Amino acid sequence: MADGTVIKPDLDFVKGVIDGGGESLKKCYQCATCTVVCNVTPDQNPFPRKEMVWAQWGLKEKFMGNPDVWLCHQCNDCTVYCPRGAKPGEVLGAIRKQSIKQYSAPAFLVNLVNNKALSWLIFLVPAVLLGVILSADGAFFPAEEEIKFSFFASTLTIQLVFVPALTFGFAVGIMGVMKFWADMKKAARVTSGNLGGSISATATEILSHIKFKSCGVSADRFTAHFLVLYSFIALGIATGIGVLYIDILHIESPFSLTGTGFPVKIFGAVGAAGLLLGAFLMMSNRFKNAEKVGSGSYFDWLLITIIGVIAVSGILSWLTRIAGLAPVAYSVYFIHLVFVLSLFVYLPYSKLAHLFYRSAAICFIKYSGREKR
Amino acid sequence: MSEQQKTVLVIGGGFSGLTAAVETAEAGFNVVIVEKTPFFGGRVTQLNKYFPKLCPPNCGLEINFKRIKNSADITFYTQAEVEKISGQEGNYDVTIKLAPRFINDKCVGCNACNEACPVEIPNEFNFGLDKTKAAYITHNQAFPFKYVIDGKACKGKACSKCAEACKYDAIDLDMKPETVNLKVGAVVLATGWDLYDVSKLDILGGGKIRNVVTNMQMERLAAPNGPTGGKILRPSDGKEVKNIAFVQCAGSRDENHLPYCSYICCMASLKQATYLREQYPDSKVRIFYIDIRTPGRYEQFFWKVKEDPNVTLTKGKVAKIEEDTRTGDVTLVVEDVMSGKKIKEKYDMVVLAAGMVPSTKASKIPGDISYTDEGFVMAGALKKGMFAVGTLKSPVDVARSVQDATGVAIKSIQSARRS
Repeated sequence: MADGTVIKPDLDFVKGVIDGGGESLKKCYQCATCTVVCNVTPDQNPFPRKEMVWAQWGLKEKFMGNPDVWLCHQCNDCTVYCPRGAKPGEVLGAIRKQSIKQYSAPAFLVNLVNNKALSWLIFLVPAVLLGVILSADGAFFPAEEEIKFSFFASTLTIQLVFVPALTFGFAVGIMGVMKFWADMKKAARVTSGNLGGSISATATEILSHIKFKSCGVSADRFTAHFLVLYSFIALGIATGIGVLYIDILHIESPFSLTGTGFPVKIFGAVGAAGLLLGAFLMMSNRFKNAEKVGSGSYFDWLLITIIGVIAVSGILSWLTRIAGLAPVAYSVYFIHLVFVLSLFVYLPYSKLAHLFYRSAAICFIKYSGREKR
Repeated sequence: MSEQQKTVLVIGGGFSGLTAAVETAEAGFNVVIVEKTPFFGGRVTQLNKYFPKLCPPNCGLEINFKRIKNSADITFYTQAEVEKISGQEGNYDVTIKLAPRFINDKCVGCNACNEACPVEIPNEFNFGLDKTKAAYITHNQAFPFKYVIDGKACKGKACSKCAEACKYDAIDLDMKPETVNLKVGAVVLATGWDLYDVSKLDILGGGKIRNVVTNMQMERLAAPNGPTGGKILRPSDGKEVKNIAFVQCAGSRDENHLPYCSYICCMASLKQATYLREQYPDSKVRIFYIDIRTPGRYEQFFWKVKEDPNVTLTKGKVAKIEEDTRTGDVTLVVEDVMSGKKIKEKYDMVVLAAGMVPSTKASKIPGDISYTDEGFVMAGALKKGMFAVGTLKSPVDVARSVQDATGVAIKSIQSARRS
């Protein structure tokens, strides 16, 4: 044993992967069908076969700074052709969850989002917090006849809650991704590269969804993800213009169907519709081939639920407001706010954190030259 | 003990069925053996060589054919299918349907009918690698040595070219199907196996890429009585195969196809590697595997083949095969698990080591028989006096099938005597 390699399996990591949607992990017998049928894996050291054995053996350190698990877009071609039902697509999703956990802080928020047993708390905490803040604001039960959501939650309150929430989400995410980037450089022994070029190539790749297009069996993921991403961008732009009008230019809210802000409203409405359709497609795609491909983990569904509720409650609060159903409109609006807050605060802990880590991984393989080799 | 109780029916005339039949008959019992195809010998007749001794299977087959011919206690039927089995141990009623051969016992095997016949059909005996005529014999040592006319392909009396060519009055295009009713004491099920349908392996180009052949086609390509006279030439252009890849577990150990190991494919590929290496000294062989499974003492054969520097064994399951339509060459993609690199390599020909499917997956034997999901006979659940042999229960090699059939001979004798 003098020259032997001592392997230190991290059993908690294995358990974490198995509990996090990778229950089929141990079925893998290393035939490498997955690495060949995968359309997005590089030729050199392709994934996901090697990740399967590392995860089986609990080699957690192999995943420190590993960009490959993030290059996976969960097309599930591997899972469909897997002769053992080991579902590499699902396992890699569970490994990504572990990776998000590893790079995020503080621990109690990591735990809240990742622990299925705490699922009852996950929306209760932001609901209570928001309830307290809005009550303190004194506008919880608007008396006015006209329904205006700013009576319920003043623009200032909204900004004071949501701007810090989003900033927090991004700050934690960016801190995590910086650690991840350093680990990737260390693991790949890369010291320099063309960062600017890599970032712009990454942006092009993400915006064009080119990788999703190469998915085989679940090519329909392209449409769903495309819709959700671009709808969020549209909604973000509409919100941004709102901030510009109200806070910076101090002119009329652009969100009226009759006023000068009409185009912005339409922009937002299209975004909302796209988000709803995208979320619906994400859900239905998961049921389509569930037996073979898997119907998604808790982690997966948590994000889809947040997106789905945001879309539905957003549209409903608008419709009920127009219909003049004050109690319903305000209640639905409150739910909408709770879920948007959850989206922002949980951004670096939930599956949405892929925004940081997948982008970084794609960028890194361009930066390090792994993609070309 | 009545005569009928002393009779044992053997369904299937492959090596297992032949063995069960001759062993039972030579112990003094009457045997009726029925074979679905026009000839006896089953899959073994299609093999070039046995592993691990690399001897041709014909000698063993011939001995058994001779034992059948010499035994007064064996009645045999070809083109015979069992339609009904009822009753119980010691007293089974069996109905057998005989398809017409259109050629009678006067046939001397002169081949005149074959030459005269205008109808070409795919040669099933060679797994479609070549064509034969509607009037044909599978090979020169076939038993019974009597031609047959494919009733489906033959144009019948309107043509009659074969009848005109036959000097021995052996052709009877008026032959009709017959029904035979039997009373038997015990039944031996020995209907054998089919090769897995590789056209289901979409990513491996099975049945679509010309120079991707099955392991059984490879046996025929190497067999002296095969379509190329034993010279290993690839199907698309007849080029000598100097660079070959074997794809192990082509559909086997795969829950999407055959969720079991077929036991023989690793040994078959190692054996086939020696065919090529012997024929072309400069040839190169690469075998891609998940695990090389050479059970028991077969391990030694594996070591022997592995010693050859021109034979490379690579761990990794081939999951993509593409054809260069211009040259006919075949490119396969696989991850070399040991190095973690994706290999894209071109070969003259690729062999898919496909697995065994029990014949009962596609066509069930009439009677009260239970099957596993994969179509194997559940031997433990068979009625008293019924026995399943060899590959009907699990994939096995010829040697084990023969041992099993010999054991079943004693069981069926006991069964026939008990009642």
